[in-house]
Amino acid sequence: MSNVIASAPTQPVARPRSYARYVGTKVLGALGSLMFVLVVNFFLFRVLPGDPARTLGRGRLKSAEDIAEFQREYGLNEPLPRQFITYLHNTLTGNLGDSLRYRVPVSELILDRLWPTLLLVGTSTVLAMVIGVWLGVHSAWKRGGKFDKGSTGSTLVLYSMPEWWLGLLLIAVLAVGIGPFRGIFPTGGLHSTGVDPSSVEGVLDTAKHLTLPVLTLTLAYLAEYSLVMRSSLLDELGEDYITTARAKGLRDVVVRRRHAVRNALLPTTTVSAINIGFVVGGAITIETVFSIPGLGLLSQEALSIPDYWVLQGTFLVASAGVIVANLLVNLFYGLLDPRVRT
Amino acid sequence: MKTVRDVLVRLLGRQRRAGHRRHRTSRLASLAPQPSTRWLVALALLAPAALAGAVVGTPSPAKAADPVIFTVGLTGDVDSFNPFLGFEANSYEMWALTYDYMVGYSMNDMSPKPDLATKWETSDDGKTWTFDIRSGVKWSDGVPLTANDIAYTYNRVITERVAGNNWSSYLSNVDSVTAPDDTHLVLQLSKPNATLPLLPIPIVPEHIWKNVDEKALKTYAAEPTGGQPVVGSGPFRLVEGTAGGSTYKFEANKDYWGGAPHVDQVVYQVYKTTDPMVQALIKGEIDFAEGITPLQVEALQDEPGISAHNGISPLFEEIGFNTGAIDTDTGQPIGDGNPALLDPKFRHALGYAVDTAQIVKTAYQGAAEPATTIVPTAYSKWHYEPTDEEKLTFDLDKAGAELDAAGYKLGSDGKRTMPDGSPIGKLRLFARSEEKPSVDTMDLFKEWLGQLGIDSEVTAMDSSTLGDKILEGTYDAFQWDWYVEPDPDGILADFTCDSRGGLSDSWYCDAGYDAMYAQQKQETDEATRVDTVMKMQQQLYDDSPYIVTAYTGIGEAVRNDRFACFQPQPDPGGVWLIQYGARNYTLLRPAKDAGDCDGVTTALGVAKEPGKSSESSSTLTYVVGGALLAVLLIGGGIVLIRRRSTAADRE
Repeated sequence: MSNVIASAPTQPVARPRSYARYVGTKVLGALGSLMFVLVVNFFLFRVLPGDPARTLGRGRLKSAEDIAEFQREYGLNEPLPRQFITYLHNTLTGNLGDSLRYRVPVSELILDRLWPTLLLVGTSTVLAMVIGVWLGVHSAWKRGGKFDKGSTGSTLVLYSMPEWWLGLLLIAVLAVGIGPFRGIFPTGGLHSTGVDPSSVEGVLDTAKHLTLPVLTLTLAYLAEYSLVMRSSLLDELGEDYITTARAKGLRDVVVRRRHAVRNALLPTTTVSAINIGFVVGGAITIETVFSIPGLGLLSQEALSIPDYWVLQGTFLVASAGVIVANLLVNLFYGLLDPRVRT
Repeated sequence: MKTVRDVLVRLLGRQRRAGHRRHRTSRLASLAPQPSTRWLVALALLAPAALAGAVVGTPSPAKAADPVIFTVGLTGDVDSFNPFLGFEANSYEMWALTYDYMVGYSMNDMSPKPDLATKWETSDDGKTWTFDIRSGVKWSDGVPLTANDIAYTYNRVITERVAGNNWSSYLSNVDSVTAPDDTHLVLQLSKPNATLPLLPIPIVPEHIWKNVDEKALKTYAAEPTGGQPVVGSGPFRLVEGTAGGSTYKFEANKDYWGGAPHVDQVVYQVYKTTDPMVQALIKGEIDFAEGITPLQVEALQDEPGISAHNGISPLFEEIGFNTGAIDTDTGQPIGDGNPALLDPKFRHALGYAVDTAQIVKTAYQGAAEPATTIVPTAYSKWHYEPTDEEKLTFDLDKAGAELDAAGYKLGSDGKRTMPDGSPIGKLRLFARSEEKPSVDTMDLFKEWLGQLGIDSEVTAMDSSTLGDKILEGTYDAFQWDWYVEPDPDGILADFTCDSRGGLSDSWYCDAGYDAMYAQQKQETDEATRVDTVMKMQQQLYDDSPYIVTAYTGIGEAVRNDRFACFQPQPDPGGVWLIQYGARNYTLLRPAKDAGDCDGVTTALGVAKEPGKSSESSSTLTYVVGGALLAVLLIGGGIVLIRRRSTAADRE
């Protein structure tokens, strides 16, 4: 085989090069978006109402001199263009600044809050994806059957419920307990005090704490995957090649897995990839209800001050997440389907 | 600008997907089949059974030798454990646990009480204060705490800007702080300071903090490092937790000079919203819930094993007026405040048009007291209660008569006019959108103004926007609140001319008032000072830059089947835990050991009927569980109806 390719004229040689060019374009595009975000990030938060010196200083920074001193300390008194240059320089050298509220480096804060968010939103996204795809496949396969009606109906009900309400219901039922049944899960938090999070006991403890929030988010996200999967599989089921496969006498399972699902997976891949990009954005409502110190809460609280550097940091991380996920999807698509490279 | 913030909030995190979702659902909804209702009903019926199955396998934790842990639910985090940096109320609580004051607060009325200082005396001219300092007190690392540590702390507060931010106001006019020996501290003042001897400044250990210079102090966390707890002298010390975190664990200082605490650990659990916190209290995951709503207090009062109340707290709510915003540099008027509000007579008349009882009932669900002056009744020593004659009792006729007398007569169109006959125009009433009572109050006020023949409109905005409007002077009236400190000096200062452009939000300025303020600030005789402070409140009540509407409380609930001995502050009727000072943390103990609470008869003691344990059922969970079932059933019902309609359409 390799001989054939090597001796073949232009085309096979041109192919990898065109993919490299494709990769190059996409990476450049992603870098461009990132730069754009970097710029928007700065000005977006500067137009927010409110002045951190006054929000943070209510009752404390009494005189105008105190406020001026505060602004000088954080470089807030300088003209915007100069602040912007300082910001660009700092961000590019990996310095995200210090939080106005907590007085610690923003990068530390973000790293601290990143893993609860990844655990919570990441796990739920993956679970919702796996279960949702499974539900979608089986719904479509026996369209209109009891399973289809049941799963589509209940995922839609869960999908239309506000997440926080579902979370509160689950707390009331599974954490506090209802009637004679005692709740078995904690009502909130990430882990118990006095447990080393890195020990086996600590990991189990965290898992127990995260069960309800992960369950809530998984339930809420199910429909996104199951419905997309269901409709794209239904499209495929009408195709001729499925009839051909059946005519060949293949077993149902093989027709489904080898032929139909494989071709129907593309739209779900897109949805999943985009959602994975959003993982680092956190889940404000669920983080609030279950008191999980994640990135969503961090940015939401920073908004009320506004804590510029924390906002810039979390938005940068969230945008970078989406941009990188999109880039990976594009690269992946380029591999899967040469047509998109043009 | 509000919309910018809304957009940003929506953009954040998961909410950001809303746009995508809407787009996607509209497409998918048409593809969705009509599911069978039977399935949903079966699901609803199965759910409890599945739960039962899950519950059977759980082990019940029952360890006898475990340490006694008192767990508190808070609705806000700690922004810094460094007492010179933080500003959140919860941070003050953590500092009070970790460090001692030289002079603290009494439980009855928050007046100065000996702490590290056992007694004090002042010179006749009020410029020299000498404190006797307790001996034998040790830092948690074993180093003795002496007057030198206090002098060190105070000197940093006086000389350094960062260290002074939170505390320098307590040491105003203090020129020097010296410790002639280990048990004496001398304050030398340039002129008398009436707020002394109250000195609730956390005393930090010199041998640790001397390594933290002024620059390093700005980012010094004062948290446990390398497994070593923070060094303090207070009843507890922080062993686990960082600022902004969700749990903070404190360990008892068994050698505390004020007596060893009766619990081994205090753990704070931070909640971002009160509903889950209340659920955690019902379940028994936490023993105390702070900052709950009046409705939650009411619901929890019926729970077995739980005591709940709205504790008296030094808070007041007000309607404030723009009494004349000026540029503080030039003295020229700024903004566009309504000229009618410049007239004290006009504002005073409006005082008769505010039914504080109605506001308490409607806006605060009864969980507040109708209010009068800017010093809440919690400070009984300083509070001025207007006489019946002075009191602005709700009476629209009287309000109308006063307005008539001041020249604001009713025009032919039924609207009141300025004395020169020009129209008053529409008063802009600003409320804070994040506080529902604020909006409710202004809605009521608008109605009453309407009955007087004065047009107005209510606008809700977030508090930082409102703060900007106030500083620009582009408002007529606003609704806000104040937390008043145990010494009235702070709140009184907010109405002086010098506070304009700073903390003054009414732009009130009166030479007579300023003179009284300066006088009380230096008055060394307390009775004379009380007298002046009363006169100042009387004047403010009469001139009405504020109409004080309500003294609100703080909702608290405690598992009194587990813990007892919470002395209210102020006593009686005050809050149970988050108080001035950390006295209750050494007093509280397991309910079974309550006894007579060391003779504190007013403390919240043992429940007469010991509450059922946490696995007992509760009405609240029934309600919520019922709601869950209802949602599933209604969902099924809707689906059924939809299914029928499509079936009919098809035929």
